[in-house]
Amino acid sequence: MFGKTTAGSRLAHQLIATLVAIPFAAPLVVIVVTSFGGQGAIANYTAVITNTPILRFILNSLLMSAGTVAVVLVCTLLSGYAFSKLNFRGRRLLFNAILGGLILPVVALLVPMFLFVRTFGLFNNFLAVILPLSAVMIPLTLLLTKNYLDGVPDEILEAARIDGASRFSTLLLIVVPLSRPIIAVVVVWAYLNAWNEFLLPLVFLQDPNLQAVTQVPTYFTSTYGSDVPKIFASLVLMSAPIVAVYLSLQSFFERGLTAGAVK
Amino acid sequence: MHTTTEALITQSDRPTRRNAPRPRSRRLNSSVLFVVPALVIVGGIIYLGVGYNLWVSALDWDGISEAEFVGLDNYAQVLSEPVFWQSIVNVLIFGVATVVIQMILGLLMAIVLSGPVIGRSVYKVIMFLPVVLAPAAVATAFRQIFSPDGAFNAFLASIGLDGIASAWIADPKTALWVIIVANIWQWTGFSFILYQAAITQIDHDQLEAAQLDGAGRLRTIRSIIVPQLKGTHITLAITGVIGAFKTFDLVWLITGGGPGRSTEFLTTYIYKEAIQQFHTGYASALSIVLLVIAVIFTAIQMRVFRFGKD
Repeated sequence: MFGKTTAGSRLAHQLIATLVAIPFAAPLVVIVVTSFGGQGAIANYTAVITNTPILRFILNSLLMSAGTVAVVLVCTLLSGYAFSKLNFRGRRLLFNAILGGLILPVVALLVPMFLFVRTFGLFNNFLAVILPLSAVMIPLTLLLTKNYLDGVPDEILEAARIDGASRFSTLLLIVVPLSRPIIAVVVVWAYLNAWNEFLLPLVFLQDPNLQAVTQVPTYFTSTYGSDVPKIFASLVLMSAPIVAVYLSLQSFFERGLTAGAVK
Repeated sequence: MHTTTEALITQSDRPTRRNAPRPRSRRLNSSVLFVVPALVIVGGIIYLGVGYNLWVSALDWDGISEAEFVGLDNYAQVLSEPVFWQSIVNVLIFGVATVVIQMILGLLMAIVLSGPVIGRSVYKVIMFLPVVLAPAAVATAFRQIFSPDGAFNAFLASIGLDGIASAWIADPKTALWVIIVANIWQWTGFSFILYQAAITQIDHDQLEAAQLDGAGRLRTIRSIIVPQLKGTHITLAITGVIGAFKTFDLVWLITGGGPGRSTEFLTTYIYKEAIQQFHTGYASALSIVLLVIAVIFTAIQMRVFRFGKD
């Protein structure tokens, strides 16, 4: 973007980029290298997998993430379609009411959620994590999806209606296939946030068998003390699934994470 | 719940499809069913939650025994509590430091990578990878790295600076900065990606004109690129400050708010009062205060944006 590129400017760019990147790469290197230290890579990783319920925690987090993605996606598509393409009384009001939820930090709901979960006996139930998480995600995913659908010409949907399709089948057969890009963003966003969620499982899932992957470090330090190489091995294992998904779907992550901030 | 709603929707749709169009208003009304699932979840959890919070914040209650209505006493107590003010100060220091440094580093990297660089996508992954990691994992790593026998002190020793090696997390003067460093490490990639997207929108003719006029590289950055990214600066500043008020995992797992209360955040304070101390009424008042702060910053954000667009 700066017009002429001399050898000197190439070198300067490369040098600055590297200098900035080093402190960001260093902790990643430290984590991975340390996890290979101590008794050695194989011993560390085998110990973490066999002596701790990390696989169980990963499975729990996968279930909670899948549940959250499903709830968020269904609610977002149904309401995004309705707010963008259907007419009903109170449309603006209801839309703004849901958007109001954008503001809220989860922590601010700790007291009511705690009392609610206690009253309905939902401790150690994944719903106690899935529902509040979905509630704080839906405002953003709805906003993104509605903006996206506003860009889809009404004529396409009208044509389907004239052909006799109901609103629901229009959504399913026309809108959903057209919305694939935004659906991908919503799925990635919901999965990432559910996988990384720490507070809700901490408070509501006390049963050691039901804990989330984000509890691994705490579980590990409280059970095995400060065996740093194994702690870091557990960090690598718990991060591997999300890193794998990120590396294969980079652009969706970047768009998903920034879409909310841009508008 | 979804199945019920969907069943209702398909049912109400069927006659419309087969028969002559029904009166418009009735058809329109059933459309509202599509938004019911979202409304029930968001309304039921967020709005009922906030409402219930408001009510509980007026009670002297431990969550179990008989509650006593005390009006605004909890709020008065919040405002007269040094720990509350300490946590506000901590959040503000954290917010300003992280926002400023993340913006500078993110912008620098975005500008540099828009030029001639080999291996651009590698740099991009290095910057953005921390963003997708769980804060719980990042916190655990940084807690170890900044422990007395951790990697950071080892690094200092290796370059002959063992003199300043320290128990960074155990020292109230530096503990907050460990959290700040962890946050900068995790979130700079976010600023970077936003700036990168915005830089591609900059008018190339203007850049070329500036260069024809003999403006040097730094001059071009200062007079053209930085001002044109105003929208991104504002977005990052405000989302960063709101994010600071929401930060919990990093603080909780690096310092737990300590040593003493030296790194207490509003969120960790709420958690302790609500879950560990059973000061249910007081914690609710704290939550409402947090909510009000978030609303104020969001209102500022919306106003600034509207202002920026005119």
